[in-house]
Amino acid sequence: MAWKVFLFVLMTLVCIAGITFPIVREPVTWYDFPLIPGLEENAKIIFFHVPTAWLATIAFLMATLYSIKYLRKKDLDDDVKAYTAAQIGMIFCVLATVTGSVWAKFAWGSFWNWDPRETSIFALLLIYGALFALRSAVDGDEKRATLSSVYSIIAFVTVPFFIFIMPRIMKGLHPGSADDTNAGPVVDFKMNQNMQVVFYLSLIAFTILYFWMWNVGYRSQIIKDKLQKQIN
Amino acid sequence: MEQFFSQNAIYIVLIIVLLVWFGIFGFLFSLDKRLKAIENDTKGVKK
Repeated sequence: MAWKVFLFVLMTLVCIAGITFPIVREPVTWYDFPLIPGLEENAKIIFFHVPTAWLATIAFLMATLYSIKYLRKKDLDDDVKAYTAAQIGMIFCVLATVTGSVWAKFAWGSFWNWDPRETSIFALLLIYGALFALRSAVDGDEKRATLSSVYSIIAFVTVPFFIFIMPRIMKGLHPGSADDTNAGPVVDFKMNQNMQVVFYLSLIAFTILYFWMWNVGYRSQIIKDKLQKQIN
Repeated sequence: MEQFFSQNAIYIVLIIVLLVWFGIFGFLFSLDKRLKAIENDTKGVKK
C-alpha cells in the first residue's frame, strides 16, 4: 500500500518537474535545466521517452526469464507471466516509437525517416509482434506455452543488438549514434545534476509502474484461466 | 483568453498529463482492489 502512495507522489513530482522546470542558457537556480544545443525545449520529452524504451527492455527481459522458468518447471502460471510481460513490453515499445516519432518531428523535421534507431525499433516491434501471432495460432495450452517460450528466448537475443549496439555503431541523428558530437552514452549527454535527478526518478517511477501493471495483468489472467477451467 | 492559453501552454500540457496519470493510477488501483476481492472469493470456492 505504501509503495502505491510512493509511486503516485513520485510520478506526480516527475511530471511537474519534467514539464514545468524552465530550460535556460545559464542555469542559476536549483530548478533550471541547461540548454542542450540542438534539442532546446524538446529536451523535456527525455523524461518520458527514455523510460518507455527502458521499460520495453525490462519487460522483454522479464518475459524471457519467465519463459526459461516455464521450460524448466512446466508451470503454466510462468507462461502467463511471460506472456503478460511481453504484452506490456509491446505497449511500451509502441509508446517509445510514438514519443520518439513526435520528438523526431520537432528535432529532425520529420516523423519518420528510417534513422538507424527508428529502423531498429521497427524491427523489434515486428519480432515481438510475431510472438503474439504465434500464440494465437497454436491450440493447446502446453504446446502454445512451450513454443512461445522458445520463441521469446530467441527473440530476446536480438534485443541488446537492436537497442544498445546497432544504433551506436551506425551513423544517425539519435543521441548516442556513431557520429554524435555529444559523445558518450545517451544518459550523460550535457545534463546537469538536477536534470539527471529528475531523469533517474522518472526511470524509478516508470519501473515501479511497470511491475504494478505486470502484477495486475498476470493475476487477472491466472484468475481468468482458473475460472474458465471450473466452468468447462 | 487565447493569449492566456498561448502564454501558458506548458501548464496546459502539465494539467493534461497529470489528468492522464491520475486516470491511469485510479484505474490500476481499483483494478487491483477488485482483483484481490475475486482472488479471495475463488480461494474460498476451491477449499
